[in-house]
Amino acid sequence: MSRFCARFGLTALLVVAALGSRAAAHHSFAPFDMSSEKTITGVVNRFEWTNPHSWIWIDVPNDKGGVDTWGIEGMSPNYLARRGWSKTSLKPGEKVTIVVRPMRNGQNGGMFVRATLADGRTLVQSGEAKD
Amino acid sequence: MRTASRLSAACLAAVLAAFGLQHTSLAQTFQRKAPTPADWAALAKLPDFTGVWEIPMGGGGRGAAARGAPAGRGRPTGPALTPAYEARRRANLAKAAEDNQTANCLPPGMPGIMGQPYPMEFLLTPGQVTIVVEAYQQVRHIYTDGRPLPEDPDLKFHGTSVGHWEGDTLVVETVGFSPLTELDRATPHSDKMKILERFRLTDPDTMNIETTITDPEALQAPYTTNRVLKRHRNWTIAEYVCEENNRNSVNDSGKAGINLELPGKKD
Repeated sequence: MSRFCARFGLTALLVVAALGSRAAAHHSFAPFDMSSEKTITGVVNRFEWTNPHSWIWIDVPNDKGGVDTWGIEGMSPNYLARRGWSKTSLKPGEKVTIVVRPMRNGQNGGMFVRATLADGRTLVQSGEAKD
Repeated sequence: MRTASRLSAACLAAVLAAFGLQHTSLAQTFQRKAPTPADWAALAKLPDFTGVWEIPMGGGGRGAAARGAPAGRGRPTGPALTPAYEARRRANLAKAAEDNQTANCLPPGMPGIMGQPYPMEFLLTPGQVTIVVEAYQQVRHIYTDGRPLPEDPDLKFHGTSVGHWEGDTLVVETVGFSPLTELDRATPHSDKMKILERFRLTDPDTMNIETTITDPEALQAPYTTNRVLKRHRNWTIAEYVCEENNRNSVNDSGKAGINLELPGKKD
């Protein structure tokens, strides 16, 4: 019985994730650990304002005295532009703290959740579109 | 006289057959009239579908948008599949693919393309309604010039659509879908799938699309869903070239991947 419940729960979770992903993006959430969040702080290397996804590349100091460059996937410019973003929302050289759903395989990457900039601005992807 | 006309009909058939035109000739030779000033003026009497419309997404996407809400009340339920297609759906789900081919930028086709988290624009011209879909930069052509549906259609992502107006409702029939499209998630369709859509304004900036899928091989009963779209007068359709910077992928085994190689390493 408990095994059935566990399997049912897992299936329901997968269905919800799959349906949600179809609506939210052009691909699934499979590469990301959707059950955890990771906060990283670094300096914007570049911001790709491109389809089908925007990509934020930030240089994060590592414990070897160098930097690791993280790739963070966001929604498309089409979607973000209608929610207040622009191609200059993040500028190279800016310090930024970003919360991501990290890669399952441990690579330096993740899916964008929210960002806070040095000047206090915050960036989120969700919300109703603006006219 | 009778024999002569029979002979000439036989001759025509032979000539058409010789050119391999028998089936497609019907659709291809439909005579489309040049629009008259009256045809253009008649458009002004139709409901105003112009502009850019989007399914409101709220917090970044909801499953109901992708699938469409079920018609009537109750929780969302999927289509009632025949045993054979239910078995195929279960087999697809059992593969536990992490993603589908849209990760590789293949557009979903019908009916999925109508449930994307991106807007679409309606263009009305004499004899045609054109839907410009932002997602995957797709276009649907709906012919309202009285032409019949093809009897033996080529199989296409969006099928072949004809439409007519019933009062203020645009009624669209579509047939002939590529086997690469899905009836519902993980659910294949047969080559007999038909989609009937009813587009109407429920208030000046709200459109309802009722979609009914029939498929005598895949479905036990017609499957009807509803979507509500809001008009955004000030919006324009944006570019969406999926291949521009697609770092996502899915392989033949259904394994999803992401390319995290730094862009333009040299500069």
